[in-house]
Order: sequence, then C-alpha cells, then structure tokens
Amino acid sequence: MGGTQQPQPAGTGDSAVEAAAELAEIERTQEHVIRAALVPGWYWWVMAAAIVAIGAARDSHDQVVLAITIPLAILVIAVLIIATIPGVRRRVRVHGAVKPATQAAVAIPGLILLVDGVTIAASASLAHYRVPHPLTIGYGAGAAALVIAGPLLNRYFGRLMLRNARQHMIEAPGLRGPWRGLLYSDPGDRSPDRAGSTHYGGGR
Amino acid sequence: MSTAGFDELIHAPTRLEIVSLLAAAQWAEFKYIRDELGLSDSALSKQLSTLESAGYVEIRKSFVGKRPRTSASLSRAGRRAFEQHVAALQQIIARSQQDGDSRPVAEADSGIVGR
Repeated sequence: MGGTQQPQPAGTGDSAVEAAAELAEIERTQEHVIRAALVPGWYWWVMAAAIVAIGAARDSHDQVVLAITIPLAILVIAVLIIATIPGVRRRVRVHGAVKPATQAAVAIPGLILLVDGVTIAASASLAHYRVPHPLTIGYGAGAAALVIAGPLLNRYFGRLMLRNARQHMIEAPGLRGPWRGLLYSDPGDRSPDRAGSTHYGGGR
Repeated sequence: MSTAGFDELIHAPTRLEIVSLLAAAQWAEFKYIRDELGLSDSALSKQLSTLESAGYVEIRKSFVGKRPRTSASLSRAGRRAFEQHVAALQQIIARSQQDGDSRPVAEADSGIVGR
C-alpha cells in the first residue's frame, strides 16, 4: 500500500512553495471535475427555445401548429432533462460529500417557480392589456428568466461544490495567513483553461 | 482531517492529478480522465495500474451496448491516503509559517507563486 511517510521536514521556503503548488494543483483539478458535472451552458438556451415555441404555438391558435409544436417542444424538454443530465454525469460523478444537496432542494424548485411565475404574470398582464402575441412574449419573458437564472444557479452550485470539496478534503485548521489567500481564491476569478494557471507559474 | 502522511506514490505529478480528480468524484470514466489530464491511453493505463496495485484505485469495466466502458474510482484506502497527503502538505506550509519564514510570500510577490 503506497509509500506513506512522515511529512518532510519543513521550514524552508522551497518545500512550502512546492506544497502550496501541489495543493493548488489539487484544487484546480477538483474544480474541473465540478465544472464537468454541471449542466452545460447550451442546456438553458435549448430549454428556453422550447418554452418560446410553446408560447408561439398557443398564440397561433392553429390546431395543426399546436398539434405538432407542443408535443415536439415537450419532447425536447423531456430529452434534455432525462438524457442530457445523466449524460453529463456518465463521464464523471461528483462525490456525495461535495454535492450541495440541501441547497439544490431549495434552489431548483425556486428556479422553476421563478420561470413559471414570470411566464404566467407576463402572459396574463399582456393578455389583459390586449397586447398582440401575449403568450409568445410572456413565454419569452419566462425563457429569458431561465437563460439568466439558470447559468447563475449553475455557478452557485459550482461554488458550493468547490467549497464543499475544500471543507471535506483541503480545509486545514493550521493553514492561515497569506497562503490561504494564495490557495483559496474565488473560483470565479480563474479561467477554466487548465494551461492558464493563476496560482503559480510554469506548465504542467 | 486525517493524520498527516506524505505519500510518495501520490506525490508524483501525474498520479497526483489522477488521485485529485478521483477524490472529487464517486467515479470517472477512463476517457474523461484521459482527456481532462491530457494523457495518452497507455500512460493513463500505466498510472491507474500502479494506483490499483497499491490499493488506491478501483477499476470498473462495463458495457454500454457492445461498447466497453472503463471507469475508475478512489478506494477507501486511496481516499484516506490522499487526505493524509493533503494534510502533510498543509503541515509543511503551516510549519513554514510558524517558523516565521517569509520567503514563500516574498516569492509570491516576485511571481513564482502569483495570482
């Protein structure tokens, strides 16, 4: 079983720099795992297009358009939910200790309520004031809420998972002072490009 | 946090990346690890075999239709070794700070460790 040793005698700047670089590499690799487990950006746009299509079809009042568009849009949404999300997870599944289960239980229904609320409120208001194509515009407003709030939710989950990963595996009571800032900066500050290290110079 | 224990097996750069990746995951596909770390099939196979021999990694082979799919996960021993290794790294930094060694900070300012 592996070559476990006592920690190397420290106190030299070199060994501390190497240790910090190694910890930074660990965090960066884990951040990539977390990003890979998140819903891809195009997911929200396809979902939004399907929502707008439903609104436009309902505004058309054409039975043929309704009969084709609504089942097709629902199929697209179903495929996105059923196939795409497990598709993302098939490549890599985030460790249970990293998942933000509690926050997800609140945030995901919150997003659904937001999109439904915006859609219904906008559609009803526009219809009340006899604005042309109220459902297309109303559903469009809901879709806009989705493409704005969806990626924000994604980013929120990404930060939570990164925080959980740090707390679970990287948080050390002894780690204080400037190293903390060097190692644990805001993930939003960093490029997802692995080559573009923001922690220390040199390639991999 | 686990007891500190510097692990030479995990310390090697490629294996460190593999173990770090697997530590954040329940499991990961072979292709995902390969692409994420920019390794060749043979290089990744070799490193995974080394880690598997040490009892740190478990390899799972399955079929999706007729296509084989290989995935890897960190074993309990591997996860413990990784946590101990991380704790050892943190100890090195903490000791450096306790010793009042300002050199890492100076190097950070000079660009060796920078943001």
